[in-house]
Amino acid sequence: MFLYLVKRLGLGALIIVVAVVMLYGMIHAVPGDPASIILGPKATPELRAALHARMGLDDPFPVQVARFLANVLRGDLGTDVFSDRPVAEMVFDQLPHTLALIVTAIVWAMALGIPLGCYSALHRNTAIDRITGVLSVGCIAIPSFLVALYALLVFAVGLRWLPAIGAGEPGDLASQARHLVLPAFAVGLGWVGYIARLVRASMLETLGENHVRTARAFGLPERVVITRYVLRIAILPTITVIGIGIGYLLSSAVFIEVVFARPGIGKLIIDSVTTRNYPIVMGSVLVSTVLFVVSTTLSDLVNALLDPRIRSGL
Amino acid sequence: MAAKLAHRAGLVNYYSGNIEYSAQPTVLAAAGEGDTVPGDKAGTALAPGRWMRKNVRGDMNMSGHVHWFRVPLSRRRFLEAGAAAGIAAAGLPRIARAATPSRVRGRSYADWAQVDPAFSTGVTEEEVHALIYNKLIQYTPGRKWGWQLDAAAEIAQTDPTHIRFTLRRGIGWSNGFGELTAADVKFSFERIVDPELKASNRPDWGSLDRVEVHDDRSGVIVFKEPFQPVWNITLPYISGNIVSRKAVEAAGGKLGAEAPTVSGPYRVREHRLKERTVLERNPGWQGPKTDFDEIEIFPIDDENTAQIAYEAGDIDFTRVSLASIDKLKADPPTGSTVEVYPSLYYVWVGMNMENPKLTDIRVRQAVQYAIDVPSIVEAAYFGVAEPSTGIIAPGLIGHRAKSLVPPQANIAKARDLLAEAGVDGLALTLDVLNKSANVTAAQVIQATCAQAGITIDINLRESGDFWTLGDASKGDQWKKIELILNRFSMTPDPYYATAWFTCEQVGIWNWERFCNPEFDALHKKAMAETDIAKRAKMYERMQDLMEQSGAYRFITHEATPVIYRDTIRPALRPDGLPLYRFFAKA
Repeated sequence: MFLYLVKRLGLGALIIVVAVVMLYGMIHAVPGDPASIILGPKATPELRAALHARMGLDDPFPVQVARFLANVLRGDLGTDVFSDRPVAEMVFDQLPHTLALIVTAIVWAMALGIPLGCYSALHRNTAIDRITGVLSVGCIAIPSFLVALYALLVFAVGLRWLPAIGAGEPGDLASQARHLVLPAFAVGLGWVGYIARLVRASMLETLGENHVRTARAFGLPERVVITRYVLRIAILPTITVIGIGIGYLLSSAVFIEVVFARPGIGKLIIDSVTTRNYPIVMGSVLVSTVLFVVSTTLSDLVNALLDPRIRSGL
Repeated sequence: MAAKLAHRAGLVNYYSGNIEYSAQPTVLAAAGEGDTVPGDKAGTALAPGRWMRKNVRGDMNMSGHVHWFRVPLSRRRFLEAGAAAGIAAAGLPRIARAATPSRVRGRSYADWAQVDPAFSTGVTEEEVHALIYNKLIQYTPGRKWGWQLDAAAEIAQTDPTHIRFTLRRGIGWSNGFGELTAADVKFSFERIVDPELKASNRPDWGSLDRVEVHDDRSGVIVFKEPFQPVWNITLPYISGNIVSRKAVEAAGGKLGAEAPTVSGPYRVREHRLKERTVLERNPGWQGPKTDFDEIEIFPIDDENTAQIAYEAGDIDFTRVSLASIDKLKADPPTGSTVEVYPSLYYVWVGMNMENPKLTDIRVRQAVQYAIDVPSIVEAAYFGVAEPSTGIIAPGLIGHRAKSLVPPQANIAKARDLLAEAGVDGLALTLDVLNKSANVTAAQVIQATCAQAGITIDINLRESGDFWTLGDASKGDQWKKIELILNRFSMTPDPYYATAWFTCEQVGIWNWERFCNPEFDALHKKAMAETDIAKRAKMYERMQDLMEQSGAYRFITHEATPVIYRDTIRPALRPDGLPLYRFFAKA
């Protein structure tokens, strides 16, 4: 297990390096001069040259990449060209908002999706199963930003029950929770449907396995059969998908952060890309990549915990 | 109709009657004991609470039948009230009874990054700088451009290159940085033009030479050559903000994200990146009292999100999208006012004069006549904006009453010009920034040009790509530009409009590569001209020259629609941008 962990971490580090190199290449290949965009019409040739030098854009590409990676190992993600603030400070200032959004969305999606999927699997082809199926697919099909807009119109504008923008007062959990309700609902709704369908399919497959028949033959209570022998196996693909889904959510959170004017790393990235603020783009994407690697590793570890067959094979 | 009221305090929340309401409020934020219905001669009493007026019949400006109704508690207010009651019951009277600070919540289209005026990126940072710093003069809110004294007790142009000023007494810097003196003024202005600092706002100061200090409170600003725009775009705006010399020197010569000291009526209490800025009263401020204890600014870049936030009650003032204007004017949110201000931006279709397809002036003129400006304004700007006559907006010196080429297309003339030039089947590309108004405008241009036999191929460009299209230092991509739908921001001096179309700007911001010696000479002369009428004529002539070159088809100056609560009296520049310092309670 320990070796497995080391191998995964090593692989994760390699993934991060490759992602950084690719990202450096991509953003430098994209047309648009940072100085012109950042400085605007007042960008004289001298000011542009000064900004290029400050951003280290005068150096060859491999030198820029190597310097960035070396700085990262020292914990230095660079400096924002506008405010001179450390990029790390800005990114980690925004990251908790996105993490809170993603985690809340996934948790409520799982809390609703898993029981729905179980129920559908155990009541296959009933009216409830069919209705759940239709609603699940409907939830998957509706884009999250559309859900967000309608949720805003109903609950924030119409009923005035919940706030429309922001992330709440720092230190005030109740305020932050209220500001999280609509965004997490919008992000998580599609995942409810997705998880429900996934769990249903996995459970149907597992219910037909020999060991389940054997457990029933032994006279074990149905509740024990389902939770210990069926769900525990059936949940494995869902956990893998959620691990990958967190990475997907990191990028899709930007829509929600724009609609709700909510701080977060997605919005930070989009604003930085638009203004070609390379240091923040690099720092933000690096952190996102690390999070993605961590979440997929964690989901694999959870799978290993749940399934002894995976554990023994490590 | 006699007033009908069945009223016992708190039991009936409704009043109906005929009143004169032309000067009456539409909202009573907090009616207390003894308050009566505004305009009701019978003096009908209102129960304590929040009341709103709805006009049922009558002339909006005179009198008629109205309903006043007490607004029931919303769920949020109920919870807040309940929480406050609970806290009070728990024996924390200080917290429960603490007065809620008065505040106004506004919206900015982006977040600000730093507090150094020398590097300010524009409007969004100026909204904060104007609250925490002083300038010698400030813009006057209203519908006409003008300025008023701020830190200066007096200021005057003694000759074309000298401006004398005397500071007010008692303007202090917070955090022990002493008094604002003429030395701070000298430092603030001279550092912006210091080549060592490489300040991005250096062009704002034109030909500034130095600032002479006579004593702690007075000095003279000296220019190498006359620079008239200083009164419109420098002193009352971004680069006119005065910083503390001691604070900047202690910070290493440049300020960052936090202001070590402020001299204005507010200071930054909290700045949550990409979320909110809260400014509170500067306790050391000795100037005119401001109405609000706090100002909150929310960075919301999407206008639809901002409008939703306003309708949800989360902000009190915002710009809204042009697409929403008709609906908002017909049915505004309760207790709101919608207004439209003219914008200073200018939108035009430019033509690359050095592109082989467009070197013939008759071809360029054909394109001018093929573009129907009223259709573009109707489609892309929902009829709210007006066709423009040039690059200088109404209300500014040099605005032209009409353009040389009428705004309506003349397809027959366009065809004739093409025939004269011996061009058949002209196909051109039109580069466009990927915003919805631009895309719509481009489609209208494509449609009308097609009638003239000109095929337009629209190239949508992302922001970063678009803004370097004509930059010759980035390679030869500028050669491929044929038509471009462009939009520049503007400040309230015509110098800032013509500055980008000189020969010097070819390959930088002059993407049409328009180079006219008369234009350049007029631009330089107009900068120094003190006679307003003469200056105006020069700028009008410059726009004539641009249009006569055939390389420009002026479209619009857009518009700035805003919405705000009736409980506030916003202070806006003539282009609709907020001057938060002067916001007041209604």
